[in-house]
Amino acid sequence: MCGIAGFTFPAGPESPREAQGGRLARMVASLRHRGPDAQRGLLLDGVALGHARLAVVDLAGGAQPMRDPETGVALVFNGEIFNHVELRRQLDGYPFRTRSDTEVLLAAFLTWGIESVRRFVGQFAFAVWDPRDRSLWLARDPVGIAPLVYALEEAAIAFASEAKALFSGGFRRAAIDPRGLAQSLTLWAPVAPTTSFAGVQALPPACWARWDGARLDVRPYWEPDFDAVEPVDDATAARQVAELLDDAVRLRLRADVPVGAYLSGGLDSSLLCSHAQEQLGGSLRTFSIAFGDQKLDERRHQEEVVAALRTEHRAVEIAAREIGDLLPAAVDHAEQAIVRTAPAPMLRLSRLVHDEGLRVVLTGEGADEIFWGYDLFREAKVRDAWARRPRSGRWRLLLPALHPSLPHAAQPAAILAEVYGAGLSDPDQPAFSHLVRWSASGRLLRFLSASVAEAVAAEDPIVSALGALSERSRRTRLLARAQMLEMRTLLPGYLLGAQGDRMLMAASVEGRYPYLDHRLIELAARLPDRVKLRAMREKRVLRQCARGRLPASILARPKFPYRAPIAWVLAGPEAPCWAAELLSPDAVRAAGLFDAAKVSRLVEKARAVGSALSEADAMALVSIATSQLLWAGFVQSMPRPADVAPVSLEAA
Amino acid sequence: MRQGEVGGAASGLRERIRAFIVETFFVDGFGDEDSFLARGIIDSMGLVQLVTFLEHDLGIRVDDDELLPENLDSLARVTAFAGRKLGR
Repeated sequence: MCGIAGFTFPAGPESPREAQGGRLARMVASLRHRGPDAQRGLLLDGVALGHARLAVVDLAGGAQPMRDPETGVALVFNGEIFNHVELRRQLDGYPFRTRSDTEVLLAAFLTWGIESVRRFVGQFAFAVWDPRDRSLWLARDPVGIAPLVYALEEAAIAFASEAKALFSGGFRRAAIDPRGLAQSLTLWAPVAPTTSFAGVQALPPACWARWDGARLDVRPYWEPDFDAVEPVDDATAARQVAELLDDAVRLRLRADVPVGAYLSGGLDSSLLCSHAQEQLGGSLRTFSIAFGDQKLDERRHQEEVVAALRTEHRAVEIAAREIGDLLPAAVDHAEQAIVRTAPAPMLRLSRLVHDEGLRVVLTGEGADEIFWGYDLFREAKVRDAWARRPRSGRWRLLLPALHPSLPHAAQPAAILAEVYGAGLSDPDQPAFSHLVRWSASGRLLRFLSASVAEAVAAEDPIVSALGALSERSRRTRLLARAQMLEMRTLLPGYLLGAQGDRMLMAASVEGRYPYLDHRLIELAARLPDRVKLRAMREKRVLRQCARGRLPASILARPKFPYRAPIAWVLAGPEAPCWAAELLSPDAVRAAGLFDAAKVSRLVEKARAVGSALSEADAMALVSIATSQLLWAGFVQSMPRPADVAPVSLEAA
Repeated sequence: MRQGEVGGAASGLRERIRAFIVETFFVDGFGDEDSFLARGIIDSMGLVQLVTFLEHDLGIRVDDDELLPENLDSLARVTAFAGRKLGR
């Protein structure tokens, strides 16, 4: 992955080239972490395009911005087109000068237009300037692995991989968007096009957009089809998934640098590593996070997989204290408030990978979405059965098993029934699957300051989340709908964004996601529901694929949510100085986001009860602390002056 | 709910419980009859804190079979339950 940035401006000889060049250089310089190998800019008549490069494919020839000499069409591209080898064969009329996937993208655009995105197997965000009709095209991959934000001016558009480039270019002065904050507190992340910042929008996953000089036309181009279920048996399903997963891994091992893998010790990443190790002939390097706290640590399972697959393994143990120290950098890169500390260890892990000399890793993200591994899917299924047959008592027996890893599983059944009984009168409502979760996290909104609460009075994050779904997805069956809600909210906004791309690129490491190959998502959508979730057993087809490949104990493991320590990291005796400073009443009042009196009470409570802090209070504490970091890093302080000297500018 | 009992002692009890809930769960406006769980005022772990408060601060012994929404899931219900247990 790399960093891209650029903007349009009024064409003509009067245009102040020097000022535009300076702007572009500042934007690109602010993204150097995404592309430490080269930072280049190209000034054309009416557009500036910039690129920070992390060289992974065609190290010598893949320089960007790339321009087609004949048409003048110019491209900046972040990400990978994994099937570039196959596409190149279909584009044999194009006079290729490099062997990069960037040039394949350019040739594909010139040959097939923007609809070529449908032919890509990849993860990408790109901008194409077409001087023939003076339009700027933007596009983002089907699941939103690569980030892309933009700001609209009166007659111009600026875009970048990260918002900080827009601020560095002077297109916006950073201000927290109360709607984005409310969405972060409820849904764990803003829903595209909303971001954490006012006036900064995100291009949603699976969309392309065309800027014609006056307006931006955004179009969705892909979503899985859940209505074409094929009645295959379990064995056939497993064979199909195994074959396609193997191919998805094969394509993602394509690179001119070594590719490693993250290994959590769960089924998904272990299966992935097994395929990769087989294809690499035994040279796979794997990387893990470990915690001192036994309740969070998965080391035993990681070691078991490492022994079985014989990978060369490195683990980094992360102390609670370290998480507090990592959070400022994590928020600076994530550019959003986070409700859990989990991204911080991911930042430490990507630094380990970087220090070990690797720049690409495979990760197992996505399997829980497409094969219905999350507790959420079981919860939706049970609640749906309950809503339709309220007199049957069977669902009651299942409630304690819904979230076995959460402490409330031990609650009396009558109380659990109240917790899970939300919205039962209308199980067909589009957000039914997520009502329990979102009403729980929505409690964080009560900490908002009066002015922010007023500003978001009309914002219903659930409506915003549903707004990200197509009409067809809103109407599809319950669990498919739940998957699409995950794929349009938590997955791109939090898991692939705050916890994925942003933490990886902070250390100049590219993540690759075989389970999020759009062909595999389409296949999973065609499989019968029972192959994914039968009774209360999740990801059945993946377990079948893993049989014989992984130790039996890994196959039998229930889903183990990845979590990191919280409370004492921020309010206990080991809390870092920034937390005390930013959680003080003065700082909370200065930021204006939260009610200072409530925050003080929360901090006191966290100090008093330590690790016994309730889940809800712990999430509140992390959300508030990271919102304060966001404010301090972007709003309170001016954009950091980046060293623009290494950015090489070219004008044409 | 024993509406007839809204006298001095019951209302003092109710205000004490309300103050605990406001302090502990950072919630401002809620009605006496609002369901804690359905309205998201308290989550199920929060009910455990509420029970601890009833036991430690009010000196009420809550048996396992009394951990029911009917006894705990609104200010009015908790007040009535606590009032019964205290013999008021």
